[in-house]
Amino acid sequence: MTAPIPADGHPVITAWHAISPFGKRRADFVDGLRAGRATAAALDAASDHGPDRHACLVPDFDIPEVLGRKGTRAMDRITGLAIVAIGQLLHASGGSETAGSAGESREDLAVVLGTTAGSVQSSMDFTRSSLLAEKPFYVDPGVVPNSVMNCAAGHAAIWHGIKGPNATVAGGRLAGLLALNYGRRLLNSGRARAVLCGAVEEHSSARAWLEHHSRADPAPRDTVLGEGCAVLVIRPPGLAVAGERPAAEILAVDSRVHIDGEPRETAAACVAHALKRAGVRAEEVWAVAPGGASGPAGQGEHRALEAMCGGAIWIRCASLIGDTGAASAMFQIAAVLSTADRAPDSAGRVAVVTAAERDGTVACAVLRLLGGGSFE
Amino acid sequence: MLTAVADDSEQLPASAGRRVVVTGLGVISSVGVGVAEFLSGLRAGRSGAKPITGFPTDGYDHAIACEVVDFDPARWMAHLDPAELGRASQFSVAAAGMALEDAGLTAPDLLGRHGLISIGTTNGETRELDRLVEQEVTGGPERMDPAIARRVNAGRLSAAVARELGLTDVEAVTIPTACAAGNYAIGNAFDAIRAGEAAFAVCGGADALCRKTIAGFYRLGAMAPDRCQPFDKNRQGMLAGEGAGVMLLEDLASARARGARIYAEIIGFALNCDADHPVAPNQDSVARCMELALHNAGVKPDQVDFISAHGTATRANDVVEARAIRQVFGPAPPRTVSVKSMLGHALGAASALAAIGCALAITEGFIPPTINHVETDPECEIDCVPNTAIEASPRIVQNNALAFGGNNAVLILSKFEEHA
Repeated sequence: MTAPIPADGHPVITAWHAISPFGKRRADFVDGLRAGRATAAALDAASDHGPDRHACLVPDFDIPEVLGRKGTRAMDRITGLAIVAIGQLLHASGGSETAGSAGESREDLAVVLGTTAGSVQSSMDFTRSSLLAEKPFYVDPGVVPNSVMNCAAGHAAIWHGIKGPNATVAGGRLAGLLALNYGRRLLNSGRARAVLCGAVEEHSSARAWLEHHSRADPAPRDTVLGEGCAVLVIRPPGLAVAGERPAAEILAVDSRVHIDGEPRETAAACVAHALKRAGVRAEEVWAVAPGGASGPAGQGEHRALEAMCGGAIWIRCASLIGDTGAASAMFQIAAVLSTADRAPDSAGRVAVVTAAERDGTVACAVLRLLGGGSFE
Repeated sequence: MLTAVADDSEQLPASAGRRVVVTGLGVISSVGVGVAEFLSGLRAGRSGAKPITGFPTDGYDHAIACEVVDFDPARWMAHLDPAELGRASQFSVAAAGMALEDAGLTAPDLLGRHGLISIGTTNGETRELDRLVEQEVTGGPERMDPAIARRVNAGRLSAAVARELGLTDVEAVTIPTACAAGNYAIGNAFDAIRAGEAAFAVCGGADALCRKTIAGFYRLGAMAPDRCQPFDKNRQGMLAGEGAGVMLLEDLASARARGARIYAEIIGFALNCDADHPVAPNQDSVARCMELALHNAGVKPDQVDFISAHGTATRANDVVEARAIRQVFGPAPPRTVSVKSMLGHALGAASALAAIGCALAITEGFIPPTINHVETDPECEIDCVPNTAIEASPRIVQNNALAFGGNNAVLILSKFEEHA
């Protein structure tokens, strides 16, 4: 708790929430991570979960039970997860965690959510219902909005009355970092005074089948599929609430695309550029949280980090909560903040969060931990 | 060559940011591929409507859409195999290459400069998902084609552009904010260049017609039987469209340094959310978004020479949008046209194509028409430039986009003048 509160310069993360396979509460995430509790469980054989027998599901996440029956009949899991996670940040008790606590109106509050392709289950269910119906248009009109990729962000805004910028960014495993950069840019451009910046993924039969067919190698995955939603509150420099110590400063976000040569080189260039922009030397990095995708992209990411930040603490959450797809990078940030929270010597130090996708994209965020944003 | 982008230490505050200019255009549309074809289509008021050929439409009473029919993806790809990409990514890659070429740039000119590739979409590669569902329905989920499954991530619409152009030092981001996505993607690029975060941006939108779109809009009663008639008293709904519109944006200094042709300047942008209804637009919120954009641009409503409306031709959209315009612009609003009357609703590409139309209107000195117009709906009360383009010298143009989820985005373009 020795780092000064930044008055200007970089935007800050002032609060966060994670609804994860560890549980619906943030404390579940913090405790689960600390205990190293694996969450993979056998799937109910009676329901259709696709080709996999195991997954890391958010426990007891029954949408009508969590959100009530009104307005939830046709709601998909992605939307439900996002509404709950954002709601936790908006309504958390204690004031300091309330996104609106700086006094901004709901017009000044933005929502940015990362995705892979929205709810592929909703989209594919809809097309299937059309193909199988007597007439192709005998489909449920209530689920039409679900099949569009901005459904979760738009619905979360409706549910919580958030009228500022509302954006969805797609990028698979990079989605969380791309969302972070988009949110940072909104603040920099003066388009919002605070951004609820998150990423969300659902487990579904459709996603599991797509994942199953997309894998280049027939070997089993290192991790099973997971799901959940992690959301940060980010604010411009100097706009943090009086007396509220932020959790971290966002020093830099960089991303690039692998064209040729070794994937490791592209990942290394991305991390090096982000560190340079952050004004941080690689040996100063306290912790790294890699995306850890399987295949060449993930291996390249791993080797680049090993060579550059080999002495840092490695934070991995995918081995516990599974491959959370679009939500993974935001969970990595949550894991960094969670780990820092119980390491008092982390205040003032730097963490690097990376992601790599098999389409060639890599991204890196550099955060300075400030020892705040504490949950208790 | 572009001038080097500044380091972060040299970044300017947004309020005193760099000027952002449009120097390249790329178009895949139902009225033609390429800027020249697109321009002649807008000037002539050509309709892209025709029977759908891309997939079976048995069972519909009418299945007219504004499909792209003369598109050969291989022609636009030197490095990528078109078979690796879904149709929407093929569109975005082709339009991006075209925009670069139109800007007089080659990929090597951009190496060493940090750039942004920002592509909006509604459906991403849903057309490929639809094909997987067809395979699943006939053969079970085990029979889905892995080659198609690997195409479906929406992030590929922007990543593929970088890979085809050989650009590694770029942020590739896909923005799937439904039918306002094109404006979102251009607005994101505007902010990045204005703040000195990127030296150039390849930005716009892309979408491919798919079964899901037709079934959904048909079921919602939003689909017209044969033609799209925005603001007409007897309009019957939208026609689905497809394509891509991509712009090359750069900051004024780099455009000047290389003597680039400047189509237009982007001077303002705004986005907001209705937070009201999943599919029906909210008048006050749409009006607020226009006000925010005008304020961002530093212009007064009476300075706007024409509005390129979202103008889908559904009963609800056109009335709400026209009323929102009157709320902001008063009883005598500027001419308000809908290029969707010609192009159909190309979803995530729609507002990008419309923005390109705005840039061309500014450069070429005309206002595109709203075709298929018979009688203006008294509830809309706007001059939609019926049927025939008019010669004019528009200086400031507003491009509206509204989307499911209450996602509104408004872009303000201006004729480029040395002393703004």
